[in-house]
Amino acid sequence: MSDAVMGAAMPAARPVSRAAVTYNMDVVRKFTIAAMFWAVVAFLVGVVIAAQLAFPIMNLGLEWTAFGRLRPVHTSAAIFAFGGSALFATSFYIVQRTCHARLFGGEALHNFIFWGYQFFIVMAALSYVMGFSQGQEYAEPEWHLDIFLTIIWVAYGVAFIGTLFLRQEPHIYVANWFFMAFIITVAVLHLGNNVALPASFFEAKSYSVYSGVQNALVQWWYGHNAVGFFLTAAFLGMMYYFIPKQAGRPVYSYRLSVVHFWSLIFMYIWAGPHHLHYTALPDWAQTLGMVFSIILWMPSWGGMINGLMTLSGAWDKLRTDPGLRFSVTAVGFYGMSTFEGPMMSIKEVNGLAHYTDWVVGHVHSGALGWVAFISFGAIYYLVPILWKRAGLYSNRLVAWHYWIATLGIVLYITSMWVAGIMQGLMWRAYDKLGFLQYSFAESVNAMHPYYVIRMLGGVMFLLGALMMVFNLIMTVRSASTAVQPARETAVAGA
Amino acid sequence: MHEQTSDLVVGLLVLLLGLVGLVMASGALDDAMYVFGLSLLGFAVVFDLGLVKRYFDRIDAAKAGSHV
Amino acid sequence: MFVKHETIEKNAVLLAVLTTLTIAIGGIVELVPLFTIETTVEKVEGVRPYSPLELAGRDIYVREGCYTCHSQQIRALKDEVERYGHYSLAAESMYDRPFQWGSKRNGPDLARVGGKYSNDWHYAHLANPQSMVPESLMPRYAFLANREVDPARVARHLRANKTVGTPYTEEQVANVAADLAAQADVNAEPDALAKRYPKAVQVQGDGRRVTEMDALVAYLQVLGTMVDFTNPANEKLQQ
Repeated sequence: MSDAVMGAAMPAARPVSRAAVTYNMDVVRKFTIAAMFWAVVAFLVGVVIAAQLAFPIMNLGLEWTAFGRLRPVHTSAAIFAFGGSALFATSFYIVQRTCHARLFGGEALHNFIFWGYQFFIVMAALSYVMGFSQGQEYAEPEWHLDIFLTIIWVAYGVAFIGTLFLRQEPHIYVANWFFMAFIITVAVLHLGNNVALPASFFEAKSYSVYSGVQNALVQWWYGHNAVGFFLTAAFLGMMYYFIPKQAGRPVYSYRLSVVHFWSLIFMYIWAGPHHLHYTALPDWAQTLGMVFSIILWMPSWGGMINGLMTLSGAWDKLRTDPGLRFSVTAVGFYGMSTFEGPMMSIKEVNGLAHYTDWVVGHVHSGALGWVAFISFGAIYYLVPILWKRAGLYSNRLVAWHYWIATLGIVLYITSMWVAGIMQGLMWRAYDKLGFLQYSFAESVNAMHPYYVIRMLGGVMFLLGALMMVFNLIMTVRSASTAVQPARETAVAGA
Repeated sequence: MHEQTSDLVVGLLVLLLGLVGLVMASGALDDAMYVFGLSLLGFAVVFDLGLVKRYFDRIDAAKAGSHV
Repeated sequence: MFVKHETIEKNAVLLAVLTTLTIAIGGIVELVPLFTIETTVEKVEGVRPYSPLELAGRDIYVREGCYTCHSQQIRALKDEVERYGHYSLAAESMYDRPFQWGSKRNGPDLARVGGKYSNDWHYAHLANPQSMVPESLMPRYAFLANREVDPARVARHLRANKTVGTPYTEEQVANVAADLAAQADVNAEPDALAKRYPKAVQVQGDGRRVTEMDALVAYLQVLGTMVDFTNPANEKLQQ
């Protein structure tokens, strides 16, 4: 049994006696382009709002460009536009390749998923800027956009799960478990959190059926699992395909992937209340959230170990394949932030960290280090395949991207650690007479240098992404990367 | 054949969405709904025209297929 | 166990069903009791639905994304209570749709900002925050003073709140326009308004038009003031 299963766990092994399948790679290409486009937008808006916190003049005095309206544009662009498009691209690629079947549903459906999702993103961003928002983090789109997104999501589920039914492999490959859990759970979360009554059918304004403390817990059940399933489970699916592919090795442990899959999806759901420590949320819920958040450390590191150990025996490829360097560093950042997260969910630590920039730094070590890096690794691998090129235009440029982006992340998270801990300590500092030592405004003032450093980190990350865009465009366009079937002279080393 | 079923189902769904968009825009009480409704209508029109175009492209490709 | 897992991973329906069950458990165990256990939101004297002007102001607070920089939740920690006042009670946000507890303090907590500053201070601060607090990172909201609040729209919003469960009375629903005008005019007769919405703060509108700035100030001025913590009955509250 074990051999058969390991075979299934390794996408590289494939019997040759199969009927030829024409995959739909068109939709994968479109989502790949969209992912890169939205990556640049998300990072750019991120730099702008970082600049606004360092220099308030950057709010420009206009209602449309104030921090409060642009911040949801940044988060939605990063999570849903960039992350989402990268996930659509990779999940559609992976499910076709590992099932050895064409994507279910016909091109009209796939085009609807692509253009519908892009339409949703543009409409959502536009509505925030115009001043329409549900006012719940990562769930800002108003009710009409929520319904539209639900339709797109159902179409996505039909295409993805439909393809699983068409598969010619007996086993469903492990990456697809994660993608399916992501699709199902995000649907449940989206529907559960956005139950709201529109003020009118003709008005982009609704009121949640939940209020106060119940609203708070439902929101963080949603919000934390947007992290757990959108930004973690789905990107683990990406990891489970591309790292074995890039390294040319099977997944390290099949058993570990089974255990950590089920324990991860079971435990993540409980962790939401750690966003609400010491608040009016009942204590039992806070404690439950904290306990599960700490236990969650284990399945998270199960995924990290499985990703890293897949490279055993193939570590030398890190020198020659800069795309793989992104993927592996991503797993490293994943391990770091899934240690930091459980630590921050401990009530006493959270008492210091909550409401401060430490949380912002934590989110970005996950979002930049894990989500963006694993996506970059996958896209560097995919683009030459999708556009049938011999290789990337420039591996040196990938290396430059890698180092500038890594340095950007380091600047970002270290400045936020310092800023966050300093804020937390200043807010609770007492003077000799037993009075609070600092006014709130003094703590704001103390943040300035760190906000500038954070902004520079963001600029570096953005520069790296622009290098990547240039490299990918040249990969598709340049004559130097064209496949030359007739000659066998190896020019790649040049 | 599979592609045609897909064209039909998705095309009708998008048509319906476009009509809903038109209704929303016509009665809109705020800017966001007006912009969304009209954009949804525009999305639907362009998308369904795209389906028609692709349908004829497929026929052309099938005709030309023997020459290539 | 792993032999059984083979059957799961060979069956897409089974995998989907088991996944759904696995993710449902945690949500059900945490969420359902929160809605059914009565002590989740202990009844507190004084908490009332927002007045029409406050509700309009609250919607502006939500729309401008104020929650991205301001929390409205004073945690039960010594320094927070000293800095901002009594820690927040669940009941104090029981009519908040959506809740605006926030998750980041680029600016201070606002759960009890009501009454801490004068109306004049708020008008000046919203128009140009740095004029009142030089260190502030806050954007300018001067444009709010040029935008009028539409009573018909507020009436629709109030009714929607009533439909989803906020206990507005028929009298309150019927008097939206009157209450809106009365609260945005310092010279208006306050009795009817005060009877329907105790502790509602009149703001300095000119009585001819109600601006979004008036609404936002009215909302900020009521935040955290509904519960009287000098009342001994409220002192024993443990949440």
